[in-house]
Amino acid sequence: MEVATKSKSTKVARNFEMSGFGRAIFKKRLFSFLKNLFRYLFIIGMSYVLLYPVLFLISNAFRDKVDLLDPSVVWIPKHFSIESFKLANEILGYAQSIKNTLIILIPSVIIQTFICMMVGYGFARFRFKEREILFGILLFTIIVPMQTIIVPLYVKFRHFDFFYFGRLIGLFTGKPLTVNLLDTPWTFYLLNTFGMGIRSSLYIFIFRQFFRNMPTELEEAAKIDGCGPFSTFLRVMVPNATGAIITVLLFTIVWHWNDYYLSAMFFTDNLPLSVMLTILNERMNLLNNLVNANDIYLLRSSVLEAGCLLVILPLIVIYIIGQRYFTESIERTGIVG
Amino acid sequence: MSFSGAFKKVFRKRRLTLREKEAMYGRLFILPWLIGLVYFFIIPFITAVYYTFTKIRIGDSGLEFTFVGFENYLYAFTKDPNYIRTLTSSIGSMLYQVPVVVFFSMFVAYVLRDEFKGRTFARTIFFFPVIIASGVVITILKENVMGDVSQAASSTTLFRVENIRMILINSGVPMWLGQFIVNTISQLFDLTWRSGVQILLLMAALHNIPKSFYEAAVIEGATEWEKFWKITFPMVSPTLLVAVIYSIIDYFTDYGNQVMRMVVTQLNNGRFEYSTTIAIVYFAIIMVIILIVNRVIGRRVVYLT
Repeated sequence: MEVATKSKSTKVARNFEMSGFGRAIFKKRLFSFLKNLFRYLFIIGMSYVLLYPVLFLISNAFRDKVDLLDPSVVWIPKHFSIESFKLANEILGYAQSIKNTLIILIPSVIIQTFICMMVGYGFARFRFKEREILFGILLFTIIVPMQTIIVPLYVKFRHFDFFYFGRLIGLFTGKPLTVNLLDTPWTFYLLNTFGMGIRSSLYIFIFRQFFRNMPTELEEAAKIDGCGPFSTFLRVMVPNATGAIITVLLFTIVWHWNDYYLSAMFFTDNLPLSVMLTILNERMNLLNNLVNANDIYLLRSSVLEAGCLLVILPLIVIYIIGQRYFTESIERTGIVG
Repeated sequence: MSFSGAFKKVFRKRRLTLREKEAMYGRLFILPWLIGLVYFFIIPFITAVYYTFTKIRIGDSGLEFTFVGFENYLYAFTKDPNYIRTLTSSIGSMLYQVPVVVFFSMFVAYVLRDEFKGRTFARTIFFFPVIIASGVVITILKENVMGDVSQAASSTTLFRVENIRMILINSGVPMWLGQFIVNTISQLFDLTWRSGVQILLLMAALHNIPKSFYEAAVIEGATEWEKFWKITFPMVSPTLLVAVIYSIIDYFTDYGNQVMRMVVTQLNNGRFEYSTTIAIVYFAIIMVIILIVNRVIGRRVVYLT
């Protein structure tokens, strides 16, 4: 009896294997196995490429002077030392520089995100004659690099005249009313308020794409409940745009934090962290009173690497905290041309 | 008609139609941007173009401008020994770097699309470049990590390009192809670090393709290969165009770009007008390239709606 069933089951199995269906399943399994294998190999390889520089920084920054000359030290230092960090901190003026950065960054990021959202909404949800042409100009501003207009902008902020009101007053008093805004965070605040901050056009574009995909019923419902366009925007659209907001917030924070071109143009003292990092190498000689000249030569790259780590550390912390929201929101933002 | 009647007729508060109201609110929403556009972009841009026709001196009463015509442009194209050379080499390397960046980001986005174990980890790592690559850090990283071949710890060098070149030549690969592969590999670091935003864009696009398309294709008996070329590729083609254009802009406006460096150096040397001149010529060339690319690729792009 048992023998019979067994032979029967193997027969069924054999039949199953022989049939095209079974072969198809086998093929599919093999394919997905190979696909997964390949995918993991690729990801592991890429992780190496992408993490390598950071690991390299960490490994070098923590080395003691002795290890810098020792060729047998490859990755893990034999003598740990945070001297490089101390020195980098000294030159960067870490605490003060972070404060300078944040004074520019926090208001800028908030203003920029809000204004870009507003403008993006205006482009996405209202019809008016000149909309398409203005949107074309918006795309044009993404393409024009800041470097082409930096000199006139510099002059503008050097003699800031409140959108020509200052000059208008000048017609009557003989002396135009201008203010020097250089070295104040107002340069950034103003640019951001009027949608011309770092990559503002790109964010407007992202928000416009996002709002275009929102269902119109939301607005209609709000209208019936008695909301005007502005309260609809504030009370219905903004709370529903969390995905896009998080994406843009992350970008704005990163790009403001890393910006050094504009900051270096507009600031001569109270320098933000990223600008300090660019002059770290030159300022290395100021360490004369802390370490002797030979050691400076030895420590140069190590201090530079410690400086890099100090600069990106806050960003990495923010990213690790916000990473989940960020990657999830990407799927729902629909930032698609 | 009395005077007050005429007054009323002219200044009567006209009730706006629904359409006009909508248009008005739309304009109100974009107003801040519009002011900024004129005040912080268009006027400075025109001023910048004016600068290129002048010679700027720092006099007693601030900057002094003297009109010199096309002198700055002539200088850039006929006298400056570096400008043309840097410009052409910059455009030349763009021609192969951008396709590689876009292809690579498409590939990564495709690999990261499906659910699999460790997907979150993989994404975290692949978005890493977005965090770091836009600042000074990347410049220092490039110099220190990639340039430290001569240092004692040469075993940590990322890629041994010379070895790869030898292998390729020995295996009979044509020289130009071998050179292309070697160039790409030697810049792999650069390429991967430059594709963060593109990966992001393409991933969003991949997620927006309706699942039903694939289901229908499977019922019709399509293979993975067919699914990719008949569904995925056409569906992401608008984003691919955006990614291509973004890569071009990103490549040209990168601070590490040689022309960009020239612009900054000239500016730091106080030659404002010359710096602006080369920047504007450069920008005009980028614009032309982008228009051509847009025309060529734009024709093949598939829009669903």
